[in-house]
Amino acid sequence: MSVIIGVFCGLVVWAMLDQVQPQALRSIFLEELENRLNQQARETLIRFDNYVLAHTSTARLLANHRQLANYLEPIYWYKGDPDQPKYYRSTPPWLPSSTLWQSLVRPSHILLLDSDQRTREIYQLGERNLPVELEGTNELLLSERRVQASLTTLGDRPYLLISETAEDATGTEMGSLMLVAPIDEQFLAASQQGVSPNGVLVGILDADEQRFLASSDPSRLGFQKYLPEVEANYSVTAQSFSEYDGSTLNLQFATLVPHTVVEEIRDRVAGLERRQRLVAAFTFVSVFTLVFYLLSERLNRILRRVSRFSQRALGSKQPVIERGNQLFVLEDWIHQFIQLVRETREEMRQQHETEMHESEMLKQAIMETALDSIITIDRQGVIIEFNPTAEQTLGHSRDQALGKVFVELIFNQQNQPQFLRLMDDVLSSRDQHPDEMRHEMTAIKRGGAAFPVELAIKPIRLKNRLAFTIYMHDISNRRRIELEIRSLAKFASESPNPILRVNRRGVIIYANNASEQLLGYWGCERAQTLPLYWCNRVSDILRSGRDWQSQVTNNEQVFSLLLTPVVDLGYVNIYGRDITVELEAERQAREHQQELIHVSRLSTMGEMATGLAHELNQPLSAIANYANGSVRRLQASGRESDDILYALGQISAQADRAGEIIKRLRALVGKQAPVRRVADINDVIREVCSFVEFEARKTGVEIEQQLSLNALTTKIDVVQIEQVLLNLLRNALDALLEIPEDERSLVIQSQCNEGGQVLIQVLDSGTGIKEKDQARLFEPFFTTKESGMGMGLVISRTIIEDHNGSISAQTRAEGGTCFSVLLPSDRKNDEQ
Amino acid sequence: MNNNATVFVVDDDLAMRNSLKWLIETVGIKVETYASAEDFIKSYYPGRAGCLLLDVRMPGMSGLELQEYFNEQGIKIPVIIITGHGDVPMSVRAMKAGAVDFIEKPFNDELLLESIRNALDLDQDQRSIQAERAEIAARLAQLTPREHEVMEMVTNGKANKEIASSLGVSAKTVEAHRARVMEKMEAASLAGLVKMVIAANLYGDH
Repeated sequence: MSVIIGVFCGLVVWAMLDQVQPQALRSIFLEELENRLNQQARETLIRFDNYVLAHTSTARLLANHRQLANYLEPIYWYKGDPDQPKYYRSTPPWLPSSTLWQSLVRPSHILLLDSDQRTREIYQLGERNLPVELEGTNELLLSERRVQASLTTLGDRPYLLISETAEDATGTEMGSLMLVAPIDEQFLAASQQGVSPNGVLVGILDADEQRFLASSDPSRLGFQKYLPEVEANYSVTAQSFSEYDGSTLNLQFATLVPHTVVEEIRDRVAGLERRQRLVAAFTFVSVFTLVFYLLSERLNRILRRVSRFSQRALGSKQPVIERGNQLFVLEDWIHQFIQLVRETREEMRQQHETEMHESEMLKQAIMETALDSIITIDRQGVIIEFNPTAEQTLGHSRDQALGKVFVELIFNQQNQPQFLRLMDDVLSSRDQHPDEMRHEMTAIKRGGAAFPVELAIKPIRLKNRLAFTIYMHDISNRRRIELEIRSLAKFASESPNPILRVNRRGVIIYANNASEQLLGYWGCERAQTLPLYWCNRVSDILRSGRDWQSQVTNNEQVFSLLLTPVVDLGYVNIYGRDITVELEAERQAREHQQELIHVSRLSTMGEMATGLAHELNQPLSAIANYANGSVRRLQASGRESDDILYALGQISAQADRAGEIIKRLRALVGKQAPVRRVADINDVIREVCSFVEFEARKTGVEIEQQLSLNALTTKIDVVQIEQVLLNLLRNALDALLEIPEDERSLVIQSQCNEGGQVLIQVLDSGTGIKEKDQARLFEPFFTTKESGMGMGLVISRTIIEDHNGSISAQTRAEGGTCFSVLLPSDRKNDEQ
Repeated sequence: MNNNATVFVVDDDLAMRNSLKWLIETVGIKVETYASAEDFIKSYYPGRAGCLLLDVRMPGMSGLELQEYFNEQGIKIPVIIITGHGDVPMSVRAMKAGAVDFIEKPFNDELLLESIRNALDLDQDQRSIQAERAEIAARLAQLTPREHEVMEMVTNGKANKEIASSLGVSAKTVEAHRARVMEKMEAASLAGLVKMVIAANLYGDH
């Protein structure tokens, strides 16, 4: 289709050009032709003139030649001389050699004229005879003396006459020299110097008679031909001679261009033009076809796109596609489409307006309910929006604030430059990280009170202006909380106790100042790793998630450590406590406790012993006194009887012995500081046995000592252990009282058991402990004895446990009771 | 030893009291026994010769308290402490309070009797010094003021002339006073007079 339209259009263009172009071309061509003819005519005329000028110059040369002057010297022409002019056939004496005529057509004659214009001498160069008008006085020339060169017709032939004044050697004017040159075909051809393109001819035209007198090619343009005849074949351009008006004849110089030449040129031009036209038409056709094709293609695409777009963007309203002219379809579509777009735009506008309204309302709500002060300022810093929180926080009402300069209203002198710098920063850096936009500053309330704010500046680049939204958050509370948190955080650093934090790998992340001792113990610094054992503990604790306690000693300082896992973060907090003083206090308390035990011992056994001693002392002393008094009386009376005196002495001695026993008892319970020292338990047992020897003997029992051969060293308070053993032995003795004397036996053993502990056993053959009493055996004030206080075993157990030992009682299988005391050995003590 | 000297035994234990009485009386010393310090204070009057045998530990007023009571009253009677406890701090306190000795029960009879004899001797010495001082004091009381002045100067070693010039009297007058002083004080010599004055000053300032 497009091709057809293209071809059609091309043909139309062709036809149109065919109609218009040749005419225009023809007129242009004619005009051009005329110009060219004129130009050619002028050129030929100029050449002709130049040629004539060459003849004139030659004439002047000849006339002024020395040979002529010399010839004329002796000659004098008389007026009355009727003589025929002198006639030369060969070169006359007044002429130089004929080499002068090299490039010129020779004149037919050269004449010497006297001052009356009478021809005196004639030199004939050719066969042509001198025209008769020039023989005798040349009347023709008389009238035109001054003319040097003139054209004239002599005998129906055009001639060129060139005269020049001739002088003799003395300078007397003798007459003139004249060149006579017939203007024939030779002259004309020579004048054009062979330049005759395309058969152009030149000729001399008699304007009055409209006939040619001479031409450059007589074969083509004959003599005496009339102009109209000639114009049938040639285009003739005639020009007047301006310089050679020597005659009354109206001669014109004609340039003739043959019509055939003109036709030829015209045909060539026409052919050229036709070719051009063809090319134009073809170009046009192809360009048009291409353009049309592209356009239609484009249109199709647009149609498809419009269809797609309308389907997609505008929903089901699809333009109706009619088969037919695509352009009409398109127009239809575009109409429909525009309509759709209008409707949609209207819808969107409404929707947008609603949204804008909602957004505005939302923004307003946000502005009003925002917890931050939101202030909008323009580029000059003038407040253009001020939300209620800002009113509340800063104390300025909105109306007061609007129009004020933000910096001056909110900041004091010192802080103003900081804010201005901030603004510059915000302006210079387009995309800032939100955190970088937060700045803490000090703002001023209306009353002048300063308070810290956090401030963020957000530039709003509107279409044609710049504004800034400033969010200000009152951070007084946060500051205070920060301070509190900071002060809380200082708890750890201010703590007099070591507080450390280590990570999963045991690297110390934090250690407060009090931790130096502990760090010294571990031999590491902050940011270093704990010793391997502790690293393992740390990972154990993190794995188990349970606290772990430990105790370390460094340079006599004892630390109790509590390791608490922070499972979420993978840390372990170590809380140390210097318990040196506490341990010391504990030790002192233990000493005190020993003191108490001692006191209690005094108040039980000791006190009893002391009381007993006092009570016994009284009768003992009385006995002694009576005995001594009796001895003295007997001695004084002189009736002394030796046996009575002996008996009285025995009484006194036994009283003394009893007193000694009491003293020893007192020494046993005497106040001694409880001192732990390393002792052989066997020695202790022996000592104790000696104490109770008396009682044992009284009970009728021999204490059987089954002691280990090796020394059993333990670190003990000897007095206290003695007390315990004493108590056990006495209990055993008491128990033995309940059975017949021959069944009584008491054994005390000492040995080292498998665990390396010292085992002391007191075994009696008594009735044993009743089942119901077994449990209450070590209870205070529990006793099976009528006179007992029930404190002995309690005190004993306290003492033994104080020595990290144990005491227990078993009923022996063979009858009786076995009390076992276990004490750690000295070696074991050292290890602990 | 004064035969009137009595050993006062204060002990709450009857057997102890009686046995001590039985023992001490064998050497011919009078013994009075009291069951308590209070009983003793009721019956005792100052000036009785003797010594006190005191049990430290007694119900009611203790031996130490009794000692303090005597010190307050200015009664000087030698005290022997009997202790049954070997209570060293208590004994030290008793000694500091003026006890002459302390004896531990049960005691050796020789040691006890020796201690009692020493105490009685001390009592007698105290009593004789006391008596002498009282005698001197009585004699001094007889002197006129002028004679007293003269005596002081004489005993300070001043010559008669010096005394005369200082008192503004004649030497003869001084000599007369001096003679009367010697007479009244029953002093055989100047040295005897000086002794008396010193003794009076020693014991008389109480």
